[in-house]
Formats: sequence, C-alpha cells, structure tokens
Amino acid sequence: MNELKNKIRTFVVENFLFSNNENLEDNTSFLEEGIIDSTGVLELVGFIEEEFAITVEDEELIPENLDSINNVTAYLKSKIN
Amino acid sequence: MCAPKNLTNIKICKRCILPVTFPGIKFDDQGICNHCRRQESTAAKAADRKEKYRKRLDQLVKEIENKAPVYDAIMAYSGGKDSSYTLKLIKERYNLRLLALTFDNHFVSPEAMKNIKKVTNVLGIDHICFRPPWQFAKALFILTAREDIFPAPALLRASAICTACIGIVKSLVLKTALEMSIPFVAFGWSPGQAPIQSAILKTNRALIRQNQSALFNAYPTEIKSKMDQYLIPDVYYEKYKDRFPYNIHPLAFFHYDEEHIKNELDELGWQNPCDTDINSSNCLLNAFANYCHLERHQFHPYVWEMANMVRQGEVNRDQAIEKIYTEQNLNMVNYAKKMLEI
Repeated sequence: MNELKNKIRTFVVENFLFSNNENLEDNTSFLEEGIIDSTGVLELVGFIEEEFAITVEDEELIPENLDSINNVTAYLKSKIN
Repeated sequence: MCAPKNLTNIKICKRCILPVTFPGIKFDDQGICNHCRRQESTAAKAADRKEKYRKRLDQLVKEIENKAPVYDAIMAYSGGKDSSYTLKLIKERYNLRLLALTFDNHFVSPEAMKNIKKVTNVLGIDHICFRPPWQFAKALFILTAREDIFPAPALLRASAICTACIGIVKSLVLKTALEMSIPFVAFGWSPGQAPIQSAILKTNRALIRQNQSALFNAYPTEIKSKMDQYLIPDVYYEKYKDRFPYNIHPLAFFHYDEEHIKNELDELGWQNPCDTDINSSNCLLNAFANYCHLERHQFHPYVWEMANMVRQGEVNRDQAIEKIYTEQNLNMVNYAKKMLEI
C-alpha cells in the first residue's frame, strides 16, 4: 500500500508540483486545489495504466477514483486485487 | 510590459526540445530530459495503441450513427489547419451528420473566416458561430494577459489567454451536445496536445462538474457574473445525465503530417493564412498570448505540445525548434495590444 502511494505521490510531485510538495496531503483534492487539471488527470491515468499494467475504463474515470493520492491508491488496490 | 528574454541560446533537451526553464525538468548526463526518459517505454507501443484507438472509433461510430435526433457529432471548429482536417477526416471516413461550432473571440483572422466558410460549404456541414460581446472578450483577455489565474499544470500546455478561450469553447460544445442530444464532441487537438487516453473518452459528469467549478472559481467576480452563462448550467447534470457524449480527438491516432494535411485541405480550398503567427492558422491574438506567457514563465506555451510531437516522430525537430524558438511577431503583438488598449 505504501509503495503504491509513494509511486503516485512521486509522479504527481514531479509532474505537477515540480518537486514542491509542501501542501500535498494524502487526501488533498487534485482538481479542487488546482494541482492537476482535466488533461493532467488523463496523464495520471496514462501513468498508472503503464506503471501498474491495468486498464482504466471510462466509467472508472470519476473523482472518487482519481482525485487524491488516497483515492488513486484505494482504486489501484482494488484493481490490482 | 518588457520583452521576453531571448531564448535562442537556452539549453534544451537533445531529443525533444524542452528547455531548461520548463518547470521541474531534469537532464541526464546525455542531455536527455526526464520526460523523454519516462516516455521511452510508451513510445515503443505507440503504433499498436493508435491502431487500437482507430478500431475503437470505427466500432463506436457503428454503434452510434443515425441514432441521434439530428447530428451525430459536434466539432469545435476554429477554422485552423488541425480542426479543418479533423472535420474532413470524420466527414469522409465516417459520413457522420456534423455540426461545426466556431467560437469567435473577436480575433479570428479574416482569412480563417474565409476558410471556415469554404470548408463547411465544400463538405456540406452546418455551421454556427458564437460570439460573446466585445466588452466581455476584452475584459477576459486583459485579465489573462496580466495574470496567471489558472492552475499551474494548465499553464504548462497553453498560455493563460488560450486557456481562457479553450475553456469557453469546451463548455459551449458540450452544452450544445447536451441540449441537442449529440453523441460525439470532436476536437482537432494535435497528437502532442493531449494524452492519447483522452482521444476517445466518454465524458463523466462528475469530473466535468468538478472541472467547470475549478475553471469558474479561477475568475474574479466581475468576470464570473458573465462567464456563468457560457458554462454548463447546474440543472443540466441531472436533466441530461444520459446524454453525456464521447469526446474524440482523432488526430491523436490517425496519421499526422503537416504537409499531408495541407495537401488534403487544398482540395477543399483551405489556404494557409498569411495574417497569423507561426504557431496558429486562425487566431490574431496568439502571438500576444505567447509573448505574455514567455515574459512570465520563460518557456513557450507550445513547447510541451511540440516536444511531444518530436518524441512521437510527428514533427521534425528542426521545424519544432523554429516554431518555438523564433521571436514573436511584434506587429501581431502590437496589434493585439492596441485592440485591448494595453
């Protein structure tokens, strides 16, 4: 679980926060806080599909699965399991 | 407002052209950036992936065509090269019933307007043009020329002025699609503009709602009061919950080559405008938008798109360097400043 979380955090910090992660909590909303925009969400999807060898279906593209580090981690855990 | 620094001698990635000024970039000892390295594994699978998307769109069109009441697809149509070619591609390949919508931001080049008329006439496509009042457009562009009101990730891919314009375009086409029950919303994004994962995507109303709210909240009160009417009304999320369309941007997975595209467009009488800057084939505000972005961020707002296209082999690296590292046309910059009274 922690390894998943760290990989997601690293991707978000490196690609959207440019290594400045002081305000990024595990439950911070990416969209509400302007950390990731709508195109960025899809870049995140591209990353997790590639990194974890999964396919994110259209109906799974919802904030509950993708809008924070905790949400992505929980979603990935359920997919991988 | 001072001129952007000269970027001609700046350090850039030896593979993709991203500059050292691009936020968060890292170079390895071979001068290759972290974005190129990260995408090495995906690049190898790109051709298969594109083929998969082409088949998926073929299949979707079969499932959806002629089921909608009037139109099968609405196209966000700027009159530029990429959206004109996309219109031609989906008309000729799929023979869809199309509606083209142009957002006239008061800076659409007269030559682009002629192209819009020619292309829609030759292809036999219904066309509507939406123009907000000049006072609103002027206030919006003055604001975004002076301030970066949008989240930082959006400004990696486009200037604040373009982001403001595109935000309205996306909302208008979606709103029209919902009202008219149109199952496809098409865009002419180049292969470098948006990730392929978004090239065929069923729009999700929860995500759309959250995006619209983030866009709306970025604006100050005086803009919000007018902007509200261009975004998706709250009642639509429930009223039209079964009508949320597929977004498609076919250039992400069809063959993309600028010369081929221009030859195809020649057949329609489309002509490359002489009155726009090197990065646009429709907008007279673009050079100024780039200028403002360069001044504030020290990287070109098209560099992410161009770097992606160089990596994917869609654009020659030297051509990309010319597009990105040529100084903005000062006549065009001054034209926009005069219009906006900045």
